[in-house]
Amino acid sequence: MNKPRILVVEDEADIRRFLRLALEREEMTVFEAGDALRARIEAASRQPDLIVLDLGLPDDDGKAVIRDVRGWSSAPIIVLSARDIEAEKVAALEAGADDYLAKPFGVPELVARVRAQLRRASLAGDRSQASARVRFGDIEVNLATHEVSRRGEAIHLTPIEYRLLTALVRGQGKVLTHRQLLHDVWGPGYATRPHYVRVYMANLRQKLEEEPARPRHLVTELQVGYRLAGLN
Amino acid sequence: MTPHNLKVKPQPLRYRVLVYSVCACAATTGIAALLLRVFDLSNVVMAFLLTVVLVALRWGRAAGALAAFVAVLSFDFFFVPPVWSFRVSDTQYVFTFLLMLVVALVTGQLAARLRDEAVTAAAGEKRASALAAVATDLSIAVRSEDIARVCAARIGPLFDGHATLLLPGNDERMSSDAAGDMSIAQWVLEQGLPAGRDTEALPANKATYLPLSTSMRTRGVLVLERATKTPLDAGQIALLRAFQSLVALAIERVHYVEVAHETQLRMEGERLRSTLLAAVSHDLRTPLTAICGMAGMLGENEVARAIVSQADRMQRQVVNLLDAARMQGESVRLDLQWHALDEVVGSALAAVHLGGRRVVVDMPRDFPLVELDAGLFERVLANLFDNAAKYTPDDATLRIRADRTGARIYLTVEDDGPGFPPDINADSLFEEFARGARESAVPGVGLGLALSRRIVEAHGGSIAASRGTPHGARFEIILAAGEPPSIDLEDFA
Repeated sequence: MNKPRILVVEDEADIRRFLRLALEREEMTVFEAGDALRARIEAASRQPDLIVLDLGLPDDDGKAVIRDVRGWSSAPIIVLSARDIEAEKVAALEAGADDYLAKPFGVPELVARVRAQLRRASLAGDRSQASARVRFGDIEVNLATHEVSRRGEAIHLTPIEYRLLTALVRGQGKVLTHRQLLHDVWGPGYATRPHYVRVYMANLRQKLEEEPARPRHLVTELQVGYRLAGLN
Repeated sequence: MTPHNLKVKPQPLRYRVLVYSVCACAATTGIAALLLRVFDLSNVVMAFLLTVVLVALRWGRAAGALAAFVAVLSFDFFFVPPVWSFRVSDTQYVFTFLLMLVVALVTGQLAARLRDEAVTAAAGEKRASALAAVATDLSIAVRSEDIARVCAARIGPLFDGHATLLLPGNDERMSSDAAGDMSIAQWVLEQGLPAGRDTEALPANKATYLPLSTSMRTRGVLVLERATKTPLDAGQIALLRAFQSLVALAIERVHYVEVAHETQLRMEGERLRSTLLAAVSHDLRTPLTAICGMAGMLGENEVARAIVSQADRMQRQVVNLLDAARMQGESVRLDLQWHALDEVVGSALAAVHLGGRRVVVDMPRDFPLVELDAGLFERVLANLFDNAAKYTPDDATLRIRADRTGARIYLTVEDDGPGFPPDINADSLFEEFARGARESAVPGVGLGLALSRRIVEAHGGSIAASRGTPHGARFEIILAAGEPPSIDLEDFA
């Protein structure tokens, strides 16, 4: 198996250096770009398996880069952003990014996210092995029979709860924004009603999580959306 | 218009014109006496008729009518035989008198009406041009001083007096350093009714106080002090009313120009502030990210862990400082949305390192959504959890409880640690830079709770600290429950 090829787009040289060191230590090949122009060139010529992208680039908006790359590549994109600009994260995710990391972040966090996205991409590329059964924690979802169970014990979900769960399963660990979930589950007319998602997610947590206030799988990305963690 | 308004008083009869009228007839009599030497008596009648017409043209209806009678009497007395007597020898002169009187009255009144119309037209034109001039001047006024100047320079002279513009200060009170009687001006401002001379309220006052009202409210008072004794005529009152609304509109326009300007200034300020905060935030975060990352590269050892944990702590302080600066802003803009409280609690718990402490979350199922700014509220809870992590031993238990009672939501965060020091008042904890353990080895600048209180209060709620039983610290947040948006529940199949 070849080394995964990672493109790091970040204008701060120090952060770029530590990202490169951290990822190279994980047996990955890292290419660097300091601005949006360079990022587009590198993304096209190096064909990376994953892109780590800082949203605040000196010459262009990071979201524009995401949209451009999404035009021809499905490589996962992890966005680096400041904590306090939730709207930016949402916009980046809706432009086509897969996950985000809030600055400052630690190396273990970075590596975990990169690995998760690489795994997700390889799974998605390998449809033939896709199983009708998916698991996370004690929960098993049978996508063929629409059955959900915990350690063999059936759990009753309403149709909307089930659709919400399968939307998260399809996302395979990608952060899905409220708008994306509303569109997938309820349809286009509901895009401005995030409270629907919140109410039904609360129900799902009650039914599927051991400790609903400290969920391990149905993870809340506050003001951004939701993510299904621990899927295998 | 307003029910009480300027009263039109009848113009006083000017007796002087009647005297002039009699004098004119006397003069005509003299001239006629001279003419009689050359002309026939019937031509003298024409001289009298001419006089009546001229008198009516010059001095109006009343003078014309008087002149008609005086002319007939003079003609009878001085010229019709027997002369020097009102007696008439030839009865056909009675017919002449009658005819002369009727012709004199009719032509006189026609002439007078002609004169009145000419005068009215001239006055109307004068008013129209005055109005146009004032409107032009007011249209270029951009400050209230400009409007006051137009009032003094243009409107006053049109009414033979002084016009002063009085504007209330920000407290809706008339300032006392301006001219005129402030109590009357204040009354006019509050009632929106005219007062003073020529009005129904306090007519004994020597000045007229006119409210400057627009559809919204009364924005000022126009004080008119006239030098002449004559009351205002109908035309002047119409003109004054027109000025009243013109000036009121100008004041309102200037007011909104000022409001727009202030809003723009404030927005610029807020924008500058948030740009600055974003820049500071970025500049502080970048080295912190590098430090965290580099330390992570040092591998699993105590030094690296210490660096990471200190950088982490510094990061939280930076966030608190920036949030505090943001909350200092004149208008804190909350991104209010209906959130599930357990999500916010869960995010805050995930953001704080609680070590080995036990966490118990007690939240009823189907707890209603709460309207809040999730990002800021997460900071409140994270600060409370952070405090618990700082001030309790590693085996403590942290209890988080949510309740809804009536229209209120109670959220309590309680630990079973040592609690607050005995010499400290629980309320003083929320003051900026207050610390639980003074000068202790526990880090933090005491900004967290002050910020938390500010955020909760911005949500219209309250936060209070108390001592737990038997020991520990207890924080209670009270929020309004509000009306969560309705949801079309699915039919359960």
